[in-house]
Amino acid sequence: MEAGEDEGFVEKIIEVHGIRKSFKKRKTKEIITAVNDVSFDVHRGEVLGLLGPNGAGKTSTIKMICGLLQADEGSIHINGLDIQKRRLKALKHISAVLEGNRNLYWRLTVRENLEYFAGNRGLSRKEVAAQIEKLLSQFHLKDKENELVNGLSRGMQQKLAIAVALLANTEVILLDEPTLGLDVEISYELREILKTIVKEEKRTIIISSHDMPVVQELCDRTIIINKGTVVVDERVENLLKLFETRAYSIKLGDALSEAQQLKLQRKFPLSTYKVGTHQTTVEVNLEHSEDIYELFDIFKEEGTQVESIDRITIDFEQVFMEIVKGEKNYAMA
Amino acid sequence: MQWLNLLNANIRKEYIELKRYLPNTIALLLTFYIIFLAAFFGIMFVGDPASFEVNVQYSIISVAFWSLTMMTMNFIGFAIVTEAMRGTLEQLYMSPLGVWKIMLTRIIAQFILQMVFMVILLFAAMLTSGQWLNLNPMTTLPIILITMVSMTGVSFMIAGLAIIVKQIQAFLQIFQFVLMALVFIPISVAPFLAFAPFVKGVDMVRTIMIENITLTQIPWADYSFLIANSIVYLTLGLVVFRSCEKVAMKKGLLGQY
Ligand SMILES: Nc1ncnc2c1ncn2[C@@H]1O[C@H](COP(=O)(O)OP(=O)(O)O)[C@@H](O)[C@H]1O
Ligand SMILES: [Mg+2]
Repeated sequence: MEAGEDEGFVEKIIEVHGIRKSFKKRKTKEIITAVNDVSFDVHRGEVLGLLGPNGAGKTSTIKMICGLLQADEGSIHINGLDIQKRRLKALKHISAVLEGNRNLYWRLTVRENLEYFAGNRGLSRKEVAAQIEKLLSQFHLKDKENELVNGLSRGMQQKLAIAVALLANTEVILLDEPTLGLDVEISYELREILKTIVKEEKRTIIISSHDMPVVQELCDRTIIINKGTVVVDERVENLLKLFETRAYSIKLGDALSEAQQLKLQRKFPLSTYKVGTHQTTVEVNLEHSEDIYELFDIFKEEGTQVESIDRITIDFEQVFMEIVKGEKNYAMA
Repeated sequence: MQWLNLLNANIRKEYIELKRYLPNTIALLLTFYIIFLAAFFGIMFVGDPASFEVNVQYSIISVAFWSLTMMTMNFIGFAIVTEAMRGTLEQLYMSPLGVWKIMLTRIIAQFILQMVFMVILLFAAMLTSGQWLNLNPMTTLPIILITMVSMTGVSFMIAGLAIIVKQIQAFLQIFQFVLMALVFIPISVAPFLAFAPFVKGVDMVRTIMIENITLTQIPWADYSFLIANSIVYLTLGLVVFRSCEKVAMKKGLLGQY
């Protein structure tokens, strides 16, 4: 047997190594590279956020982890099992809620869906009866248990789809855009439910999302992918800290001279300079923390008073937008 | 145990859907009822009264056999296309037991439900016509069952095609005609046809009924051939199905892209 093929306790429950996937467009025969050399590991119990704009390759990556899509190159191991060679065995460890709203049978009721999908994993109704009750109340679906999924709101359908995935009792759960298309209220409710689950159960979860609060509140770590490649792989707190320390708002005693403004523009093209009636502020986003000295040199030249320096608190959304829009490759220190 | 739970879940699902789509189910039941009745009355008026019972029996077994064959052949491909259209196919593919097992249990479920319906309808038809036949299902049922195994193999092949092209309606219709032709060509005319699925079974049932013999009077060679034929087709069907799954996973055809 090949090394790393043994099942048993593996610290990294998911190992993704150099995966690539291209599709041929049906009409134009043009080849699109959806995922281009993506690698990452996920540890047991970790909650990983997968962020990226539309078309970045999130769904393709998730489907390759489930074995629904075969990678053109690279390998994926789940609990040490190669998903391409031993798919069914590896699937014992994974459940997933895929993108969109078709993870359920619309012609079956809420309860029938839970029971049916458990049955498809070889579980009897008796075995899952207690857990179904627990999930129905946890997801506030108890009073809908005998209603057809067809008649439920999009939010309730999504809650049920997640409940179905949880019922499988797998160590790994993949959630592809769980809050996409939901209104604010239900999106908040879902987030709160997921928060409890993350706290109470030691599951390994990958959540792909556009929804920053979801990632910010639930995830330990985040991977940002853009155009099929990993741009950032960092703990959420570090990512926020990093950007916090780099974004400053500086209040000045006097206005800057023409020469100073010119220098500011040249050295820090993305900075903003505002002259108000009472005060003047400069906002900058420094790429390297040493750059702050250069900034201060500009002020010192003409003896401009610096009244205060504040870090700008930014949320995850801004971080994400900067990375994706700027296409910068942030090598983490 | 896993198998049993899987079978249980899929029988329940098929049953629930039949119940929930009552109009469809009733239409189906009525069709069979009318066909059975037609067999009774048609033969009563047209046929030779001396061979009435044999004729009715033969036509009823033929109808039952034919409809089970058609149902089995279409079933898995149709299930795959429906699941793909509704978007639930990928969730089925998340089962660690494998889609082929799910489909196998669904076809068994359908088979059981159809048999139950047919028995009920047959009794209803006998009640209406007042003609009580001495149907002896023990002679033909085993042959029909074994034949259905080979048809399940064919069903898996068609389903494999369905995963990739998602459009099998036209193909199924052509296939239906081919099968129909096969039924009417006796094996004695074209012996190689025995290697096709289903033909040997039909031939054996025909012999049993027309010559009025029992199961034990058929030579063992015939049974062995029938069983071997079924095993070969089922295996072939599963191999084709699983290779088509691989192609679909490579090309990203399982989802609704
Ligand atoms: N099954 C498929 N067939 C053809 N192209 C696909 C398929 N799935 C995804 N793509 C293409 O691959 C790229 C990545 O898509 P996807 O993984 O869905 O990104 P995301 O989930 O981040 O929005 C897109 O350009 C998309 O058009
Ligand atoms: Mg997506």
